[in-house]
Amino acid sequence: MKRVLVALSVGVAILLAACGGNTGATNPSTGGPGVPTPPAASLTGTGATFPAPFYDAARFAYNKLFSQVTINYNALGSGAGISQLTKKTVEFGASDVPMNASELAAAGGSDKVVQIASTLGTVSLAYNLAGVSNGQLKLTAKTIAGIFLGTIKNWNDPALAADNSGVSLPNQAITVVHRSDGSGTTYIFTDYLSKVSADWNTKVGKGKSVSWPTGQGAKGNEAVATTIKQTPGAIGYVELAYVIQTNMTQASLQNHDGSFVIPSPEGATAAASQYLAISPTQFSIVDAPGKTSAPISGYSWLMLYKDQADKTKGTALVDFLDWLVTDGQQYAVNLHYAKLPANIVKDDIISLKTVTSGGSTLLSVPAPS
Amino acid sequence: MSRGTAERVVPTPLVATSRQRRFVAGDRIFRVIAYGAAALIILIAALFVVALVIPALPAITKFGLGFFASRSWDPVRNQFGALTPIYGTLVTSAIALLIAFPIGLGAALFLAEDARLRLLRGPISFLIELLAGIPSVVIGLWAFFLLTPLMRDNVDPFLQHTLGFLPLFQGTPTGYGFLTAGLVLAIMVLPIMIALSRDVIRAVPRELREASLALGATNAETIWSVILPYARVGITGAVLLSLGRALGETIAVTMVIGNTMQISTSLFASGYTLPSVIVNEFTEANGNVYLGSLFYLGVVLVLITIVVNVLARLLIWRFSGSARAVA
Repeated sequence: MKRVLVALSVGVAILLAACGGNTGATNPSTGGPGVPTPPAASLTGTGATFPAPFYDAARFAYNKLFSQVTINYNALGSGAGISQLTKKTVEFGASDVPMNASELAAAGGSDKVVQIASTLGTVSLAYNLAGVSNGQLKLTAKTIAGIFLGTIKNWNDPALAADNSGVSLPNQAITVVHRSDGSGTTYIFTDYLSKVSADWNTKVGKGKSVSWPTGQGAKGNEAVATTIKQTPGAIGYVELAYVIQTNMTQASLQNHDGSFVIPSPEGATAAASQYLAISPTQFSIVDAPGKTSAPISGYSWLMLYKDQADKTKGTALVDFLDWLVTDGQQYAVNLHYAKLPANIVKDDIISLKTVTSGGSTLLSVPAPS
Repeated sequence: MSRGTAERVVPTPLVATSRQRRFVAGDRIFRVIAYGAAALIILIAALFVVALVIPALPAITKFGLGFFASRSWDPVRNQFGALTPIYGTLVTSAIALLIAFPIGLGAALFLAEDARLRLLRGPISFLIELLAGIPSVVIGLWAFFLLTPLMRDNVDPFLQHTLGFLPLFQGTPTGYGFLTAGLVLAIMVLPIMIALSRDVIRAVPRELREASLALGATNAETIWSVILPYARVGITGAVLLSLGRALGETIAVTMVIGNTMQISTSLFASGYTLPSVIVNEFTEANGNVYLGSLFYLGVVLVLITIVVNVLARLLIWRFSGSARAVA
């Protein structure tokens, strides 16, 4: 709800900016020339719900900049995003996890589809413990895995006490709350657990839905957040934006370098910049090294066909996506997503430069060096 | 038959008048429309089955009938089985009926039989209809925010304190789980239960009632040995319709069941129901087997509903036979 309000206020701000004649915005992220002016077109995309508030704010803002382009986005889930792109009923699809080999094969082969990272999110562990304030609870990879595997069942467990000297943890059963619907947030979180815990990796594994060893499920980030808030002794993983907007208490997480950090958009960007080569097959950035890295972070992805049948639509699409990963990133930051690191923006633009129609490249901005 | 009617209007038609011809033509058109409508229903039902079974095929071929017996639901390893949500669906529906049946029947008897508080009947009937009209998502919200804390802090500890020796009331109550879901379902099926039972009880012939009272039976005796036996066919129907509603209810249950793939004897434990799994997982279910398994769950749900309906009809046939004997 608050996101909608933020999105609306962003929209109003853009409206005012547009009225001021500030349409020729420059491209601060890449330092390149101005944003290309797209041809008139109406574009439709379908996919993930996790980045949907960002896409909504961005498409609204883009339409204010270039009123000849209207963009629709249906947040029906990553699965729908992939299948509708494959059936070519939409111009672009969105997914929290890039299309895998078999999905790419169904879409005509891995060389037919371009996948770009569009935004970056991070996951928090929010809890409901009387007397333990925000950031006071310290969790390590080992204790997080223990709690979600069900081997740590009580808040007074010695393993938790060892990391939390000075905090009085109650003798209270731990209620684990997880997502019941398939989600990118779950993918990032289980990707993290699989990386840091061999036990988790063999028993559960990673995915948008997994077979949870313990706890109870709630549908969507909002329901997980609300369930934690009204259940004493509860802990669960929630996308950072919801934690900030609903003023939840979240744990400090120990990252790969051993320092405890409270997850933040800056922490996600710091984690992401540790990985210079990200591709649709090598995209995991969880448990990243670096002193300030937020350990449970991940990208969200956009997919489009490399060969665009409709040249006008294709041009408008790559122009929009070029803007989305550069100037458009400010709308992500407003909604507590993290800004894409410069190297990823560069990779995205290089990928967008490969999109063609009738053999000619559609994106007019020069390829970044 | 229609031609017969036409013939009766004009007994000896040598040449059909234009008016008659119009009439016959209208009759034919009407027949085509009626047949067409009937055929359309069959077509819709057939299309529905096809649309449900075809996407389920990858799962049906992979798991076969073992799907019904398997407790595993692991999207990572592509292993799926329906036993856990079937268990949850049946348990929550059973709890709902156990709660709703006595309350519903009592309320129906009060509304139909008790003449002393006539003034209250109108408002109570109105409230029941109001309850029936509340969208399930609103009931779900109410349950999520008000019922679950109440269950966790008051009802569940009380049950554990008094009946804690039973396997039904073990573990730490979180407020979510089979019992809360069953209670929410009970609230949702109560209007159906009350309204149908009330109408059935009202339909009991007045002479039976009067004869019983004239023989010196008390009000309670009349209800127990005359009205309820006569009305039991309809009451069974009311119970089964309530069951149908409970089996398929989705969103309100999803909000309080806890959405956990586990079979537990404790009613405090979280569980899963067939509709909840489908509504939770279909958006991000990628891969034919995963999506197919969700459709397969839909097939299972439809099958259970059909079995309940067939049972209902068999019961009603049997009871209507014996009810006639009683009458």
